[in-house]
Amino acid sequence: MAAVPRDPISDVQQRILERQNTPWKKGVRRLQGLFVDAVLILLVLLMLEFLALAFSGRRGPTGLLLTPEEILDRLTYPWLALAAGFLALVWNLFYRAIGTSPGRALVRGAMKEEENLPWTQTSRGWFSVLLIQLTFFTGWLVTEVQVVAFLTKFSKAQDIVRGLMNPSADVLHQGLILLVQTIFLAFMATAFAIPIAFAVSFLAARNLTRANFWSRTAYLVVRTLMNLTRAVEPLVWALIFISWVGIGPFAGVLALWVHSVAALVKLYSEQIESIDNGPVEAITATGASTLQVLRYGVVPQVIPPFLSFTIYRWDINVRMSTIIGFVGGGGIGYILKPRVDLGAWGEVGTLVILIAVTVWMMDIVSAKIRERIV
Amino acid sequence: MSGPSEMQRREAVRIEGLSKVYDDGTLALDGVDLTVYEGEFLVVLGLSGSGKSTLLRCVNRLIEPTEGRILIHGEDMTAATGRTLRRMRSDVAMIFQQFNLVRRHTVLTNVLSGSLGRSGRLGSYFLRFSEIERKKALEFLERVGLEGRDQSRADALSGGQQQRVAIARALMQEAKLVLADEPVASLDPALRHSVMRHIEGLNRDEGMTVMCTLHDIDLVRRYATRLVALRAGRKVWEGTADEFDDETFLEIYGQEAEPAAEVA
Repeated sequence: MAAVPRDPISDVQQRILERQNTPWKKGVRRLQGLFVDAVLILLVLLMLEFLALAFSGRRGPTGLLLTPEEILDRLTYPWLALAAGFLALVWNLFYRAIGTSPGRALVRGAMKEEENLPWTQTSRGWFSVLLIQLTFFTGWLVTEVQVVAFLTKFSKAQDIVRGLMNPSADVLHQGLILLVQTIFLAFMATAFAIPIAFAVSFLAARNLTRANFWSRTAYLVVRTLMNLTRAVEPLVWALIFISWVGIGPFAGVLALWVHSVAALVKLYSEQIESIDNGPVEAITATGASTLQVLRYGVVPQVIPPFLSFTIYRWDINVRMSTIIGFVGGGGIGYILKPRVDLGAWGEVGTLVILIAVTVWMMDIVSAKIRERIV
Repeated sequence: MSGPSEMQRREAVRIEGLSKVYDDGTLALDGVDLTVYEGEFLVVLGLSGSGKSTLLRCVNRLIEPTEGRILIHGEDMTAATGRTLRRMRSDVAMIFQQFNLVRRHTVLTNVLSGSLGRSGRLGSYFLRFSEIERKKALEFLERVGLEGRDQSRADALSGGQQQRVAIARALMQEAKLVLADEPVASLDPALRHSVMRHIEGLNRDEGMTVMCTLHDIDLVRRYATRLVALRAGRKVWEGTADEFDDETFLEIYGQEAEPAAEVA
């Protein structure tokens, strides 16, 4: 078919472009790009200085070589930040000569002539590779990777491993009882999470919240709230709820519940965002109300994946509930922690095996059920 | 032009200066003026990307127009909001290329969903409809030749059958206007006429005005009472099926396009 010749730009398009590209918005985008560049360049400079110090052979106050923490403490942050800002500015001002900077490319797209070049021919390509390489080498030093110890000093852990291999029957009875509690704990947390996550997930789906100012605000609020909730570890939630309702399985239920709501909202809303828009259009076209559109156009499409995610979440909750017990949130972890502290490796072995078997069974069962549903 | 003269005919849809620019800057419609009269079977022609689908979706506001005005039976669709918008939408049925049935629902529920615009009752959230509506739905299913399939899941049906369910849904909506967006493009060529005849039925027997986009020139000549051609978002031609000759075809589709054998 013939390509349809199109006017370079029509009147309406021109008007729209002007509405979208106000000098203010342009300026904001420029600043965004500049900021991203400054941060990336700062990272590179910091890591370069870190590596320089690490290999300089300089000694600390104790006469020993500097530890990674000491190096991190000594980096010249303010000067490097200034330098990074300056370099970012230069890169953004002279991008035509140097090549599009990474920040500018992210925010506004690369220059036309760079679009199809392989990374080896763009400055931001080389910059990215440098950044990744530096991160790896710095990470090696910061986390004090010790290949030799890992390969030669296994004997030191022999006691523990031997204990784990020879589980003692003493805690089997108590362990089994608490295991049942653990599974119920995970189940209740999941059950409480479902209705709330279900309702909230519609507000956290981008494709359903574009309509007006209020829905966009709701989206932002819900997303932020859920991200914050998810960012706090269930272990921390457990500590909060233990003070709230006291030590015991209910605190564990609440801790996993909060975390599950946040996690399920994320999974559910992503699922809603990936639905086929066709039925939504069709139901909207009948004159149905927004709630009816959700009921007919969205819900039938997301029920099977929702079920699948929920079972998966229960599975995760079983795993997490063993840890929750460590701080007093009920379940099998509650008797595991003191035995770890005492070094009763035989009993620890029994409990670890019980947990492993349960998690393994949950894994199989949840996989099977999910297979049937989807 | 066949039928009564334009003076006597009532306007079903009046489109004035309609433009649509998508968020990515694509210009889909560029100042389209168009009037559709009651009882017409209007076919919208044009290459893919010429703005046909956008035009139809602007009529019932599945897509928000950027500029311009749309009047449906004299009432301003572009200004409608909330309840008014929903009431006006319920007067405009739509048939889609991909059928857009709710796949996990039964055929009957899919047909009944056509009545959602007028049944705001709580029952609709539990997929419950009145006995009268159910009877109507079964009747419409029979009319499109799907009696006995009402309890099948929608996705268990073949493409042609699914599109007929969608037509029953449109019947259920009791609309005055039908928008059909490439209704047969994803169907087996052998099944196209059967589906097109049902849409023709909506037009002839139910007196619904039809706005339909089509690719197949053969079908265009067979069913259209009037044609409109779009090119790069602009209306470039308008006329009856008889006036649509080879020359016009090349004008609309470009010099490199080849008219179907039947046209020559």
